[in-house]
Parts: sequence; C-alpha cells; structure tokens
Amino acid sequence: MIPNVAVLEIENPHFHMPRLWLPLILLWIPLILLSPLILFVILAACIVGRVSFWKAIATFWGILCALRGLNVRVTTHDSKVLVRIL
Amino acid sequence: MNENRRQILEMLAAGKITANEAERLIAALESEPAATEGVFTGNIAGSSGWSGNDKDTPVRTRAKYLRVLVESTEKDGPTTVNVRVPMQLLRAGVRLASLIPAQAHEQLDASLSKHGVPLTLSQIKPENLEELIDHLGDLTVDVDAKEEKAKVRVFCE
Repeated sequence: MIPNVAVLEIENPHFHMPRLWLPLILLWIPLILLSPLILFVILAACIVGRVSFWKAIATFWGILCALRGLNVRVTTHDSKVLVRIL
Repeated sequence: MNENRRQILEMLAAGKITANEAERLIAALESEPAATEGVFTGNIAGSSGWSGNDKDTPVRTRAKYLRVLVESTEKDGPTTVNVRVPMQLLRAGVRLASLIPAQAHEQLDASLSKHGVPLTLSQIKPENLEELIDHLGDLTVDVDAKEEKAKVRVFCE
C-alpha cells in the first residue's frame, strides 16, 4: 500500500518549523495527470540504460509502497529533524 | 511428574546423590524451559521461521524493521539518531540494485573496495534476497566507544 501521510519537523536555532502532516494522497492528483509524460521519460531512460521497462516500474512501485513505516529522527543539542512516512 | 524429576528423586531415595545435589539438579531442570522461552520474540501466528509444533522449539517471527540507534555526547551536548527502516524497503532496494547495468556494477564494486568496503553488488541477486533478509533478523551490532562517548546499536525488530 502506498504511503498516505508524511510527517516532517525541522528545528534549529535559526529556524523552527512546526510539525507538518503532509497528505501525500494529494500528490497523486498531479502525478496521475502527468503520468503519460512521466511514463514516457521512464521508458526513454530504460531504453538508454538497457533496462527492462516493466522491471523498472515494478521496482520503483515496490520502493514507493515500502516507504511506509520509515522513521528518521536526528536530535542534537540545538537541532532536530524528524521524518516519518505513514 | 516430569521423567527427569522422577529420576532425580529416585537417585536421592537410593542414596546415590545428596539432597543438595538433587536440589541443584532440579533447579537446573526448572531453568531450562525459562531459557527456551526467552528466545520467543512473538506469537507463532504469522511467523515464517521455525515451526512452533514442538513446545521446546524456539519460535522466531520475521523482523519487520531495521533499527539504527546512535547516541553520542559531544562538546555542545548529546546527539541522538534513531532510524527505523522497513525490511520491505531493503528488499526493494536490493531489487533496485539488480537494475544497475553490469558495467556500472563493476565500477561500483571497484569504488567500494577502494574505500575499504569489499562488497560485490553483482553477487546480491533477487533469488538470494529472502535468505539475506532473513539472516538480517539475527543481526545485532553494539558499538560502545567509551573514549568518544558514543554508542551505536543496529538490530532488527
């Protein structure tokens, strides 16, 4: 299943961003609209790189779906970065 | 009554062992199941590892995440890194490596070995992937550098 929400938080002495809940589902609307162009670019890249188009699509789709559950949290004495994919 | 326990009591009754020895043997018997239970990491349902038919057989569940925890104390203050990577993402990443052309593989291998990482990416094939991921479940790396006050933990959960 594809990720639906990303949580992002960045904090340092010069910049403080409140925790953002990004609805990734909204990104699908422009992606679907641009899909013919994106597919054409991927196809061209596969031909140039001599890679199977379907294998490439399956791999990238697999990576996209596997992103769910990713959690990266880095904290120092004055900075904090949090990235979560839900 | 357990057969082993009965034998110990019979040996005690026959005077072959003392009461203290019998007590130690029984204590050792009792500690055995506890040690086996300590290996359990989850329920039997959904485990793809060993079967749980035998009561004394340890049961392993498949690890879902790779965790990397780093704690270090620097001059300015403590730094912590907490990363949780889904195993599924590792699987997808290895499949991505299979898309890399052979010429690029050679260059990557040469570059990795040049930087002290003797890893041959071309040897990691999708058919060996499940075995590799399964063995990652046993991985636990603990680095405790007292001089630099840093602690690194890599494990699967």
